[in-house]
Amino acid sequence: MRRGVVLPRAAIVGVLALGWEITARSMDPLLYVPPSRVLPALGRLVALESFPYLPEHLWLTLREILIAYALAVGGGIATGFALGLRPGLGRIYAPLLGALYAVPSVVWYPSLMLLFGLGAASKIAFGFLLGFFPITLAVLAGVRQVDPHLVTVARAFGARPGTVFARVMLPSMLSTLTGGLRAGLALSVVGVIVGEVLGSKAGLGYLINYAYGLLRTADYVALVLVALALVLAVDGVAARGERRARRWA
Amino acid sequence: MQALTDVSLSVGPREFCTVIGPSGCGKSTLLAMIGGLLGPDEGSIVIDGRRVAGPDPRRVAMVFQDPGLFPWLTALDNVAFGLELQGIPRAERRRIAADLLGPLGLREFALKYPRELSGGMRQRVAIARALAIDSGIVLMDEPFGALDEQTRFLMGEWLLDVWTRARKTVVFVTHSLQEALALSTRVVVMTARPGRIKSVIDLPLPYPRDLESPEIASFRAKLWGELREESLKTMNQ
Repeated sequence: MRRGVVLPRAAIVGVLALGWEITARSMDPLLYVPPSRVLPALGRLVALESFPYLPEHLWLTLREILIAYALAVGGGIATGFALGLRPGLGRIYAPLLGALYAVPSVVWYPSLMLLFGLGAASKIAFGFLLGFFPITLAVLAGVRQVDPHLVTVARAFGARPGTVFARVMLPSMLSTLTGGLRAGLALSVVGVIVGEVLGSKAGLGYLINYAYGLLRTADYVALVLVALALVLAVDGVAARGERRARRWA
Repeated sequence: MQALTDVSLSVGPREFCTVIGPSGCGKSTLLAMIGGLLGPDEGSIVIDGRRVAGPDPRRVAMVFQDPGLFPWLTALDNVAFGLELQGIPRAERRRIAADLLGPLGLREFALKYPRELSGGMRQRVAIARALAIDSGIVLMDEPFGALDEQTRFLMGEWLLDVWTRARKTVVFVTHSLQEALALSTRVVVMTARPGRIKSVIDLPLPYPRDLESPEIASFRAKLWGELREESLKTMNQ
């Protein structure tokens, strides 16, 4: 990364931390923790002193995310192409999808807990649900982006349907598709962690909720920072995948 | 909607056969049928004694009014696209494509993407893509229709040069009288919709042609006489 980007970014983080420190010191120390207390808490967390089982919880959350995302990718791509490639079907069902996507997803979570229980399954279901929509809609939008003339040209040069798909459709929709896959991943992560916070027995979100419930505010903020790092790491991997896919096309 | 009716036309090898007619007369439909992109509701298209059942790039190559280059491929890879579908290895198809781009004045543009090329260059790349697969027949659907008049004129000269060297059969759709007169060995005039063949005019004249010569002028008058009536019909439809 260029220095011209890194320096201003470091500056804004510094300014925010300083403002946070000053504000928090003038408030109730039970509810407002300044960075000077969060950093030691983060140190204890990473050293596995405050939460010795952190790695297991993190690993569980990561597995939930991976499963939820894999299901969202599979389901989203299948649904998107099924609706996109059959205009009749798309006309009937695509508006429904758009309407469902507009509903704040959190309203589904209680019913997912009723269906799937308090364990990992309901988190996976919620992560899937959140990731599924942007992927499906990206595939649908991508299919519409394909220039029918290019399909005709490919056919004229002897391309069969499979070749048309691989050599014309996929490259045409690539940027929309990768954008949707990346957004879907971010939302699957959100779904799993929010699901854990709202009700669970294990996972990063469970720890966050636990620390918060006990008013261990410094630990709570430290755990949130861990969640932030997790989200950034996952999105970093997704961004790399996106760049790679673009280069391939 | 019926686009064509009662069309019977045979084109001999190495002819440059131009199909001209008012807009919407089904010229493009006819070409798409010859190319196997559309099936006729009745009748058949036969090439070298074999009925056309679908696109067959080993025998027929196509050029469209919209060049239809793949934006994610370089000019070189666009030219090589048809060869790729035929399973020709990358190094070989790139060599063939590069050999084609040179004489078309596109050598320096081989690694450019379509968006970096002018309209005329794009259409030359599209024509090179059609020539690359080395079919005996090239179908061209108003390939210069979207270009400005000067570019159009130069592209016509260029195409004539390509055609005389490559010795291919060309079926060329246009609504430009000038193009028809400058390029064709034969001109087919179509009627207004539903299109049928109104007349076939042979142009047994040497190339390059002087479009101001009295001979061409008499052909132009004859051709315009045939075309005028149909264009009027289309205009008043």
